[in-house]
Amino acid sequence: MMSLFFPLLFVSVLCMNSFSAVQGKKWKGEGTTQNLESIVIGRCYEYIRLVNPAVGEKNCSQIWEAFKNAFINKDPCNILPEDYELFINITFHTIPPNKSLFWENNQLLVTSLAARGRRYMSVGDTLFGFLADFLIWCGQADSPGLDYESCPTMAECENNAVDSFWRIASVTYAKHSSGVVQVLLNGSAEGGAYPQPGFFADYEIPNFQKDKISQVVIWVVDDIEGPDRDSCGTNSVKTLETRLKTLGFDVTCTDNYKSVMFLLCLDYPDHSKCAFASSAPAAQRGPISSDRGGSWNKLMFVSFAGFLFRFALVY
Amino acid sequence: MLKWKDRGTTKNLQEVIVGRCYNYITAQHPELGDKDCLKIWESLKDAFIYKNPCNITPEDYQPLMELASHPIPCNKSLFWSKTNDLVHRYTKSNQNFLTLEDTLLGYMADRVSWCGDPSAPGINYESCPKRNECESNPGSVFWKMASKMFAEAACGVVQVMLNGSVEAGAFRSSSIFGSIEIFNLDPDKVTEVHIWLMQNIGGPQSESCSGQSIQRLINILEERNFKIICEDNYRPVQLLQCVHSPDHTDCRLCTNSSAIP
Repeated sequence: MMSLFFPLLFVSVLCMNSFSAVQGKKWKGEGTTQNLESIVIGRCYEYIRLVNPAVGEKNCSQIWEAFKNAFINKDPCNILPEDYELFINITFHTIPPNKSLFWENNQLLVTSLAARGRRYMSVGDTLFGFLADFLIWCGQADSPGLDYESCPTMAECENNAVDSFWRIASVTYAKHSSGVVQVLLNGSAEGGAYPQPGFFADYEIPNFQKDKISQVVIWVVDDIEGPDRDSCGTNSVKTLETRLKTLGFDVTCTDNYKSVMFLLCLDYPDHSKCAFASSAPAAQRGPISSDRGGSWNKLMFVSFAGFLFRFALVY
Repeated sequence: MLKWKDRGTTKNLQEVIVGRCYNYITAQHPELGDKDCLKIWESLKDAFIYKNPCNITPEDYQPLMELASHPIPCNKSLFWSKTNDLVHRYTKSNQNFLTLEDTLLGYMADRVSWCGDPSAPGINYESCPKRNECESNPGSVFWKMASKMFAEAACGVVQVMLNGSVEAGAFRSSSIFGSIEIFNLDPDKVTEVHIWLMQNIGGPQSESCSGQSIQRLINILEERNFKIICEDNYRPVQLLQCVHSPDHTDCRLCTNSSAIP
């Protein structure tokens, strides 16, 4: 039996390799988002016409070309942040002071909190971030086409088109943040609320401008049903606070910041952590329901009561 | 070009509409992958280009409506009146409900404007008619038709978010909800109507479920055989209101893990 084992193993490995070659998938990650060009150009006009017209006129076709040229016709594992420099330059706009919102492990929460740039401007609310948010893209060497079948993951290579993009986007975003900056961390995250390595630790903090940032406000919020792994003054958050203070920043830290608690409570309205204090009178009023049988019920009751009354009279 | 009182067609309307269409299908609703976004744009354009913008009819939009409509899951339709900001913040945070603006048609058309003109290039980027200039303008006709279809497509339990802090009353017969949507709900498909009557945090408390205009609404709906439940300050939505007024007395939480500033 053993003498058959290795040949069998060899053959099956060969088959697996040729199977994936037949499949045509070079990489393990999802391929480029379909209709990428129309989406990016559409988002560009959406942003300058509707989301944030304050950024003024931009040439969206030129922006798409600069974006595309950063990664097409190249080895998809050799795309560097610098390749996006022209794109970043032509999409750049100032970030209003006191509106920057950094985050780790809570992207959907940040989207709700930022309210499309009206309350805060996260990196996804800047023009350059808005264009790329939630999209996937990559090219191939020796061909101007986008690869719609698969794209490399971080594990396969660090210098892939998407991760390099977010590196330069994060650096740019941090460099141009000013005033009071906020950072929202997840106190229930495995590996700590302040992950190292991480985008915030490696690309954003090192680019905070001391002469522009007046204060760093840290919010550590646990998942409603999650464990309280990290909080202000403990573990990774303590590491973060110390690092920022050593760098010379004025730092505050709040656990379970109320505004964010309310957002988390949307999915758990009946959880004990989400119960309103009894002073809210409107919340006490129960539902008023219209019952189509209501008038019939009243009629039956009155008739029955009448019957009982007559019954009582007779006896 | 004719001159009107409202803002003109949104610049780069084509790119915005096509981009939104692909964004909706690709990024959010891959099950609609068979929709042709370029054809959809063409059908929108054909509805108004080179036409006098006071002469638009529902028939003009019929091809667009057919190309872009899609089924709505039961129990998810969420209607609204005078709660634009709040209702859409809610549906962005809670995927269990869909307003018209969360369907493909509404998503593409939200916050943009368009109108045509008989002279070249056929699209008026300078101005478009306001409703009081003429009712059969491209925007009004579009939204009336889309609202009617949205109501017709609803099934199961439907929800409506109304504003209990407006002076003119939470339910108005002149609103799209009051004049079109409630009359196009299909009693064979829709079983119940849940009213969420939301008051602003800190008031005013102009109306509640026992209020006059709500009673009128309930009567109209009952006559059409719907069961109605009305709830003042529906909890999950009130939680959302509290996000931006966390320190208000109406938003005090029982939890004793209080924030230390």
